Amino acid sequence: MGTFRDRTAVAGVGYTPFSKDSGVSTLTLAVDAILAALDDAGLTVDDVDALATHRVGDSTPPWVVAPALGVPEVSWYLDQFGGGSVSHSVVGQAAMAVAAGVAETVVCYRAINARSEFRMGGTGRGPAPLFDTQYQAPYGYFAPPQQFAMFARAHMNAYGTTHEQLGRVAVGQRASAVRNPRALKRDPITLDDYLASRWIAEPLRLLDCCLETDGACAIVVTSRERARDLAHPPVLISGAAWGGGDSLFSGAGSGVDGTDFTVTEAARLAPRLYAMAGVGPGEVDVAEIYDCFTYSVLVQLEDYGFCAKGEGGPYIESGAILPGGELPVNTHGGFLSEGYVHGINHIAEAVAQLRGTAGDRQVPGAEVALSTAQPGYVLAGTSALILRSDP
Amino acid sequence: MSLAQRPRPEPDRDSAPWWEAVRRHELTVQRCDGCGTLRFPARTVCNRCRSRAYAWVPARGTGRVYSWVVNHQVFMRSMADEVPFPVLLVRLDDGAEQGDDLLMYGNLTGGDVAGLRPGLPVEAVFVDFDEETTLVQWRPAG
Repeated sequence: MGTFRDRTAVAGVGYTPFSKDSGVSTLTLAVDAILAALDDAGLTVDDVDALATHRVGDSTPPWVVAPALGVPEVSWYLDQFGGGSVSHSVVGQAAMAVAAGVAETVVCYRAINARSEFRMGGTGRGPAPLFDTQYQAPYGYFAPPQQFAMFARAHMNAYGTTHEQLGRVAVGQRASAVRNPRALKRDPITLDDYLASRWIAEPLRLLDCCLETDGACAIVVTSRERARDLAHPPVLISGAAWGGGDSLFSGAGSGVDGTDFTVTEAARLAPRLYAMAGVGPGEVDVAEIYDCFTYSVLVQLEDYGFCAKGEGGPYIESGAILPGGELPVNTHGGFLSEGYVHGINHIAEAVAQLRGTAGDRQVPGAEVALSTAQPGYVLAGTSALILRSDP
Repeated sequence: MSLAQRPRPEPDRDSAPWWEAVRRHELTVQRCDGCGTLRFPARTVCNRCRSRAYAWVPARGTGRVYSWVVNHQVFMRSMADEVPFPVLLVRLDDGAEQGDDLLMYGNLTGGDVAGLRPGLPVEAVFVDFDEETTLVQWRPAG
C-alpha cells in the first residue's frame, strides 16, 4: 500500500466541447480530447505508449483509438467494463502502470455521446442485462434516477434529510457553473426553482439529475520526473484507490455496514485512499464529488469523512461546500451543470484547481484535491483519487 | 395495471427454479445446507461458508417496506401509460434473524402511495402477467 504515492503525475488535460449533440462519433471525440491533452502537456502522439478507458458498450476502445491516432506502439492498454464507479480507477491503474515501468505516458480518456446516442437514463432502450436486472426491470425499475431515488429515500427515512438540503447542492453547483465558460448550464437557479422542477422519480426532481452530455475528456499520466520537464507544473497522484464488491444483494456480514444502504462503498474505500496519500479529510482543500444526482454528493460527504453519518444535510445547509466555504465542492458545476463525462471531468477540474488555472472559480491556495467516482449503488465498488500540487 | 409492455424477467441458470416457483405462486429462498443461512437472489455458493449444498425453502411471504420511489419519468416509451407508479424495496421477514439481508423489489398493489412509510408491513401477491410470466408484487398486510 502506498508504494506509488506521488511517483506519477497528471501532465496534461484536454476536452472537446460539451453539447447535447456532438454530431461526431465517439472515436472522433476521443481523438480530439487526446490531442488536446497532449498539446496541453507539450507532448505529441509519438510520446504515447499506453491508452486507458472505461465504457459500458457506449464508446470506442483503445485498440481502435490508438491506430486512429497513429500511436507508434502500445505497450499497455486498459479497456475496462464499467460506468461512473470505475471512472477514477482508470487513472489509478494508469498511475500503477507507469509506476511499475510498464508504460511511460498513458492517455486516459472517456468519450461519450450520452445525449445523442446512448442515454444512460434508458430512454428509448431496454435495461442492461446485469445480474440483478431480472429482479428489478419487470417492475419498471432500471434507470439510474430510480436507483438513486431509492437510496435518497432511505437516507431521508433514517436521518430526516430534506428536499431543501438536496436542492442546495443543485443551486450551489449552478452558482459555480456560472463562472465556468465550459459549463452547459450557466443560468443561476434558486431553491424555489429547484422545488418547482418536475418529479423524475420521487424523491428526486429534474434538478437533482445530472445532464446527459456529448463530449470527451482526456488526461495524460506520466512519471513525476518526466512531468517536471513538460509544459505545466505536475499534479501528483498521491492516492488512488478502487474496489468494493458488495451490492444490494450481498447478504449481511459482508456489507460495508450490514445492510444499511445509507452507507456506500466509499466509506470502506476512504481510509485506504487517505492512508495511501498520507492525508486526511481535514487537509483536502477542494473536492470534486461524483454528482450523477444531488444525493450522491450528500452521502459521499459523509462517507469521505467531511461530516458524520447522517449529517450530510446539515453540513450542506451550513454552506461548507459553496465557493468560499471550508470545502468547496464541484467547483466546475459538476455533472449537474458543467456536463456529464462520467467522472473524468471531475479529475480534470481538480487538476485545474491544483495548477491554479481555474480562473474565476479558483479556490485560493488549493494544494490537495479529492476526486471521486459513483459510490457503488449501481455495480458494486467505487474509485477515487487524491491529487496534490508538486511541493 | 398493464404489464404487457414491460421488460420480461430473464432467468439465469441459478434463478430459473425461483422463477418457476413464482409461476406456481410460491415465494421461495435458498437455505444453505452448510450453515443454514437463507439467501436471495439465487446463487449456487453460500458467501458465508462457501457450501454449494442448498435447498429451496418456502419464504413467509411477508416483509417490511425499507424504501420506495414513485416513478414519473417515462424511461421506456412502452410504459408511458403506467406513470406515475411506485416501486418498493422490501426486507423479507425471513431475514430478520440474520441481519435483515433478504431484499426484494416489487410494485405496490392494492394500497395507496400516500400510506407508504418505512417499516410498513406488506405481504407478497402473485400477479400473472400472461401465459409465461408471474411477478411478485406487494400489498399492505392485514
